[in-house]
Amino acid sequence: MMINQLLLVFVVLVGAPIVGGLLFGIDRKITARMQGRYGPPIIQPFYDFFKLLGKEHIAVSKLQFVWIYGYLVFMIASLIFLVLKSDFLLLVFLLGFAAVSLVLGGFSTKSPYAHFGANRELMQIMAYEPILLLLAIAIYAQNGSFLISEIFKHDKPLLFTLWPLFLAVLYVLTIKMRKSPFDIATSHHGHQEIVKGVTTEYSGPYFALFHLAEWYEIILLLGIIALFWTNPLWVGILIALAAFIMELFIDNIAARLTVSWMVRLSWSVGLILGIANIAYIYLTKGVS
Amino acid sequence: MADTMMAIAILLPVVAGFLILAVRNYYARGAVVILTALILIANSVYFTLKGPFTYTPGGFNWGLLITILDYGILIFYLYIGFSLRNWLVLIFALTQIIPLAYFEFVMKAHIEVTPAFVIDNLSIVMTLVISIIGSLICIYAIRYMYDHEHHLHLEKSKQSRFLFWLVLFLGAMNGLVFANNLVWLYFFWEVTTLCCYQLISHDRTELAIKNAARALWMNATGGTAFILAIIYLYTTQGGANALSVQTIIGGGLQGSLVLLPVALLCYTGCTKAAQMPFQSWLLGAMVAPTPVSALLHSSTMVKAGVYLVVRLAPAFSGTYLSVVIALVGAFTFFGTSALAISQTTGKRVLAYSTIANLGLIIACAGINTPLSIAAAIMLIIFHAISKGLLFLCAGTIEHQIWSREIEDMEGLAVKAPLTTLITAVGILSMFLPPFGMLLGKWIALEAAYIVPLAAVFFVLASTLTIVFWTKWLGRLLQVLPKLGWPIEKLSPSYSVPLWTLLIGIFIVGIGIGPIYQNFLLAATNNVISGNQIISLGLNNLVLTTPSFLQREILGVFPVWPLYLILIVALLLPFLLIGLKPTELRPVYMCGEQAGGGAPDTDEWFAEADTVTKCQLGGYYYQSVLGEKRVCPWANAIAILLLVIMIGGVIVI
Repeated sequence: MMINQLLLVFVVLVGAPIVGGLLFGIDRKITARMQGRYGPPIIQPFYDFFKLLGKEHIAVSKLQFVWIYGYLVFMIASLIFLVLKSDFLLLVFLLGFAAVSLVLGGFSTKSPYAHFGANRELMQIMAYEPILLLLAIAIYAQNGSFLISEIFKHDKPLLFTLWPLFLAVLYVLTIKMRKSPFDIATSHHGHQEIVKGVTTEYSGPYFALFHLAEWYEIILLLGIIALFWTNPLWVGILIALAAFIMELFIDNIAARLTVSWMVRLSWSVGLILGIANIAYIYLTKGVS
Repeated sequence: MADTMMAIAILLPVVAGFLILAVRNYYARGAVVILTALILIANSVYFTLKGPFTYTPGGFNWGLLITILDYGILIFYLYIGFSLRNWLVLIFALTQIIPLAYFEFVMKAHIEVTPAFVIDNLSIVMTLVISIIGSLICIYAIRYMYDHEHHLHLEKSKQSRFLFWLVLFLGAMNGLVFANNLVWLYFFWEVTTLCCYQLISHDRTELAIKNAARALWMNATGGTAFILAIIYLYTTQGGANALSVQTIIGGGLQGSLVLLPVALLCYTGCTKAAQMPFQSWLLGAMVAPTPVSALLHSSTMVKAGVYLVVRLAPAFSGTYLSVVIALVGAFTFFGTSALAISQTTGKRVLAYSTIANLGLIIACAGINTPLSIAAAIMLIIFHAISKGLLFLCAGTIEHQIWSREIEDMEGLAVKAPLTTLITAVGILSMFLPPFGMLLGKWIALEAAYIVPLAAVFFVLASTLTIVFWTKWLGRLLQVLPKLGWPIEKLSPSYSVPLWTLLIGIFIVGIGIGPIYQNFLLAATNNVISGNQIISLGLNNLVLTTPSFLQREILGVFPVWPLYLILIVALLLPFLLIGLKPTELRPVYMCGEQAGGGAPDTDEWFAEADTVTKCQLGGYYYQSVLGEKRVCPWANAIAILLLVIMIGGVIVI
């Protein structure tokens, strides 16, 4: 049991960045095709990653590394929580630590662009965090437990009862994947952000760490979406991949919104979806 | 032995206080404070070892003494009301003194309650918090007040007077958490209000006196509700028997409207815990020297408010009142977290965060399951440690930069790396895993679904919490590309309490599993019986729901693995990165950087090539979340909730 779990963690630690990097490669390819370009090879993210690793070490602050490592380590920790099917609420809080680390990394320089990005990243946290926390409560309302392992024990997929929250989580996915209309703190495809947002002051190997954390993050996010259909799990994974492809389309057809629009939308539509969802379960099922 | 222990806990601070008043020498006075602190700490540890007992003092008519002192305090309030021409103080002094006189002289009430003091595990938890953290703050105050007066250039030192009230406070709090006799509880309650008034008004500026008076009248409304509850209990429940806390929580009340006195007492708790709409008194208290804030916020005063509500939880368990209290607390948690975002002063952010967390604790009492009560007690402890530390940090920062504004703390990491490090850990410990506050919040959220609206408020509030803490910490960390930060020197009177509290965060946090199992579980059982948290290997905290056949697992919090992750995250950069001066570069400024290529410059060429200093500032979102915008609405809702709380008890 214990050995199996350790093995699983090891496989995920090694495998997640490979799959995550490939997903980013596919992202670039599809995006390029949608824009009428040929696009880079699918393994381009790995070329970029190793090239960055070999670059000169450059720093603008003594403190920014502490936070980039915090970002990476806590992102991996959240993913491990998902893989070990542990507590979902705690997973959201751990993901929160990762996100806060990135913001603090931006704040710990005296760079106007990093500060812009950090403030925006903070607003992004404010926009998506309540939806993820509500999802945790809704999962409890449905299953009587916050454990992810309990989700796997139920035959009926969560999607049937939690579809409003599923929609809200797609909104979160757009924010977390840094896709238009919410590529506000920083973005991948050089749309129209102010310099490079929160990551402006990371370069070389430290910027590679940021990419690595993002690869783990995309696997984590798609994993959370797959939880909506766990029996059989491949349906959930297909749903997650469909959501991923859908984000690429949204990215290419949407223009960026302002920060206040993002927060307002999620605190109105997103929260109403979540709260109504929980209220419905509460009224029909009661406290189990 | 019980005599000595009780005397040390309650009377020693009084005696020491008078000694401090008499001693005029800085070092001798400091020695008295430190000695008192050490004795109080040792005594509270002895309480823990000895375990629960009951106690009724004999040999002297203590009841009469307390009655006389009661009137003394209330007459002093009247005097304050007259001398300041503050009618609110006057009115609420009268609403206390008239019913009290009626109760004692017209009704000729007998208020003998045996036992007078009940020391159970919950009281012991409280006395540990009060004695240890309160004492550390007193030690900190020795040097702080010296620097404070030095900075103000006062001719006549008032340090003795300040320390007198500070130390007295600890005695009153110990009495408050031990008292079983409601009339005595009321007396200790009033002493804390008095100490609070004296400490807030200490600097005697116009603002200080005004804010102290506000704290006084708001708490006096609570005192009034307390007396009304006493009279109501005495008349409807057949005499002094009902004036025992143990009777009230033991289900000893009978007849209709038994919830009314409980609701009144909860109202009293809410005023002292500065719940909305009473938050303004605690914010006003920020004008006082920082040790006062530290004391009020961590181990005394506001903790008395939440203690009372948690203590009374069995009396309203399973009732309408319980749900409303959960909502009152949860709404305050949400409202004040939002207000904290708009604050530009460090101490005001801390104050709003305190009120928010007290709201969370009160909401936990309202949710009223073994899980939520355990969360409430853990939050009381963790909050006392973290918030005590943060206020002491705020005071230390203030004495380094002579400002309380967050914007002035920009780049403190260079000016005072040690203070910044301690502050940063303090801030992180307020809202991130694996620290204790987050653990408490996590348990509270997992227990909150019984009152779904409260759960929604928790969700929103914890999100807002992330925003204001991160914003503040971010300002401290903003640094230029430069190496070699000289570490500042701190007086031991500052550094000993700071380090002790910092280590305390980790010791209590890492050891929470065994601490809960051996100690806090018993305290939880004093309020509500049931064991829903189980500590397993590697210090996993497993939350369960009791059911007939098997225990279902609600959630798991692996404490040690999480601290291990934190240590890894902190160690990696230190092990892997040795920054060399040649690796430093200036930040990106679109090539408009001035300073001739030196990395540590923040000057740039503005229009017409004038060299300008780059200035960055935090966001405070005041147009959306400013006090002027939020408070009228939030206060109206909070008042409505209080009306529903007390009115609903009468109607239903």
